[in-house]
Amino acid sequence: MKSLASRVETLLSAGIDIGTSTTKLVISRFSLMNLAGGTHVPRIEIIDKEILYRSPIFRTPLLSATTIDMIAVDDIVKSEYEKAGVTSDQIQTGAVIITGETATKQNAEEMVHHLSEHAGGFLVAAAGPDLEGIIAAKGSGAYGYSKKTGKSVANVDIGGGTANIAVYQDGRLTGTCTLHVGGRLIEFEDEQIKSISPPVEKLIRQEGWTVQIGDSKYHPDVQKITRRMATVMANVLSKSMTMEDEVLLLGHPPQWSGDVDVIVFSGGVSECIYQLEEENASLAVYDDIGIELASALRREPGLQHYEWKKPNETVRATVLGAGTQTTNISGATIQVESSQLPQKNLPVVEVSFEYETAVGLAKLQSSVEEAIAIYDPGGEGQNFVLYLTDIPYLKFRDIQSIAKKLIACRRLKPDPLQPFIIVLQSDHAKVLGQTLQALEPEQSILCIDQIDIEQGGYMDIGQVLQSGVVPVVIKTLTFHS
Amino acid sequence: MEKELIASITKLVIEKLNQEQPPKEPEVALWSASPKNPAPVEATEQNLERIELKPVRQEAIQRKEQKTHQSRTCSDSLKLEKKEQQLEELRQKTPSRIAVGRAGSRPKTNTWLQFRYDHAAAVDAVYGEVSADVLENLGVFTVHTRVEDKEEYIRRPDRGRQLSDESRKIIKDRCQNSPTVQVVISNGLSAKAVEANIEDVYLSLQQSLNNLKIDMGTTFYVDKGRVALMDEIGEILTPDVVIMLIGERPGLVSAESLSAYMCYKPRKGVIEADRMVVSNIHKGGIPPVEAGAYLGTIVQKILKYQASGVSLVQKES
Repeated sequence: MKSLASRVETLLSAGIDIGTSTTKLVISRFSLMNLAGGTHVPRIEIIDKEILYRSPIFRTPLLSATTIDMIAVDDIVKSEYEKAGVTSDQIQTGAVIITGETATKQNAEEMVHHLSEHAGGFLVAAAGPDLEGIIAAKGSGAYGYSKKTGKSVANVDIGGGTANIAVYQDGRLTGTCTLHVGGRLIEFEDEQIKSISPPVEKLIRQEGWTVQIGDSKYHPDVQKITRRMATVMANVLSKSMTMEDEVLLLGHPPQWSGDVDVIVFSGGVSECIYQLEEENASLAVYDDIGIELASALRREPGLQHYEWKKPNETVRATVLGAGTQTTNISGATIQVESSQLPQKNLPVVEVSFEYETAVGLAKLQSSVEEAIAIYDPGGEGQNFVLYLTDIPYLKFRDIQSIAKKLIACRRLKPDPLQPFIIVLQSDHAKVLGQTLQALEPEQSILCIDQIDIEQGGYMDIGQVLQSGVVPVVIKTLTFHS
Repeated sequence: MEKELIASITKLVIEKLNQEQPPKEPEVALWSASPKNPAPVEATEQNLERIELKPVRQEAIQRKEQKTHQSRTCSDSLKLEKKEQQLEELRQKTPSRIAVGRAGSRPKTNTWLQFRYDHAAAVDAVYGEVSADVLENLGVFTVHTRVEDKEEYIRRPDRGRQLSDESRKIIKDRCQNSPTVQVVISNGLSAKAVEANIEDVYLSLQQSLNNLKIDMGTTFYVDKGRVALMDEIGEILTPDVVIMLIGERPGLVSAESLSAYMCYKPRKGVIEADRMVVSNIHKGGIPPVEAGAYLGTIVQKILKYQASGVSLVQKES
């Protein structure tokens, strides 16, 4: 409404990235404003993002090769919050993401959920290689560049453990891919090889190379390995992977359509390519194949024909993405009860109406049954989000029949009294929420709209803001091994 | 748009169509930027064949084209395709008639016909009537203003702001006195807007007020009303809030856009700044069902602050 037109609301956001080699944090402030005219239904959008604090780059504290030192990570976060001058209860949105090989540690899951609970009022726990790539692409500026130019831009975020590729065309995600390519896959100590990660071990065996732990760091095979990594990268970007390349693939092969025009490197290894950070003298302290890998990528013939674009951020791309690019704002006309918020870590069940009400109605029940079977087989009351998409133009009668069907579906849930959470792609939440309320006044309902899910199977919904909207974060929670 | 101009240009186009046969020989696609998807209005002429106009120097150009044709590589057609894709994305972003191509210095026939169709739809919306079925389904009765016919309605806005003597009596007799909310429906400048949207907006608004336990008076329909008519209705029935659902002046994007005007305790002499509006309610704007639900929360706010329009904004902050 008019009254909101001139008002700006601010929101503090934190991003925490716990990576294979490094851990970092950013604090930023979002400004929200109603961008719709006075005679229109309000449309609240994030109009400005200001970064208030960037932490230094910390080494990720580990207790052993397979466990994260949770207390040390906690201490880093606490002391950095102090330096930034914020307290955890001021943080209203943001994400803590566990990336690269750190996501394979025994207590990775415990770690992110612990931080999500303690480091902010609404801080979202996230993990998963595809999501890492997407967040890095948004933090590095690759996403923005594709939107601006309409080109197909591949962001390659190479950290210590993995390389996460996300391809955007004209601001639309066209695909992702993750490789076991990273600086920390071979570590040195005293001029010797200290460790070789399992995927690289496999590559060495496959190729019949001989390098092993204890060999000199100048062993010729080390260069062969980094060169091979660069070739695989080129093959993946041009979607011409061979059988031999698959040893370095983590998850699915590249699935984007069309060709890549531009490549942007981000992540720790990209720092060795571009050297954008000021204190680049400290690079050698990592004592791993990062620098070798960077130079192999720079020289790789298969990568030369692309346009190379410098990122806005190198090593901090993911943390900036997590802190500034994960929050979505819902539509302004929604039906929520603040006593039921925030809601965290809800799996998303999508029901596409395929632009026909009858199709949607027919699908609803079986989708809910399926969802219960997958997410709550034991009947423990794991809630989920029902995400309704491709909705046709709806008459009031259609809304009523959908609402009736939804109520029938709610009764299928093991705990029918828990909040019923419905998320819509189109602008229908208020009327659907009110209809559900009219039919069953005593039940609690969360009905929000205008959320587009690009990728990711989980959703967190934050507390209602003054403008009447809720922050929503869409994410994945995959702890690969 | 002047009628004579439209008539003369249409005549020209039709003459041209009659004179020229579409070329039979395999033609070089000179104007590849033809819109795949004309303006997103329910086009009824999809069955019409697309007629390409022959440019004046077609043959000369054709010869030239043939020469250069062989040297063209497939990368050119790829580039064209990509360009077309980008244009298509731009077209998706606005209902404006952009990137529609041209024939010489004039719009293409399809574009022109679409424009004429939309213009005609706008005229129809103003001069049309709301069908009796729609009003019957909602269970509302009809009253009239002091306006006699459409011509007078357009020429004399002041008469559209007053009820006829008989109508004043009817609403006094038939309507609940002093309700919290009085809903009034009027065709205004677009009968189509009412026909297309009223059922959804009204039912959804009714439900919303019901949920909020806000009492609603007896809704009625005013033929050929103006927004400020709510002042007189406010004096007769003394409701706390009047909501007037009225057809907007049609445009070329949509001829069926509805507005909801609201005012707290409207009386004769209310200043315009105390009225507020939610506009653009139609298929392509705010979905009618959602608009109705939203109106309920605005009414709640108006009642809470006992003010509307600019006064509400001031009281709120």
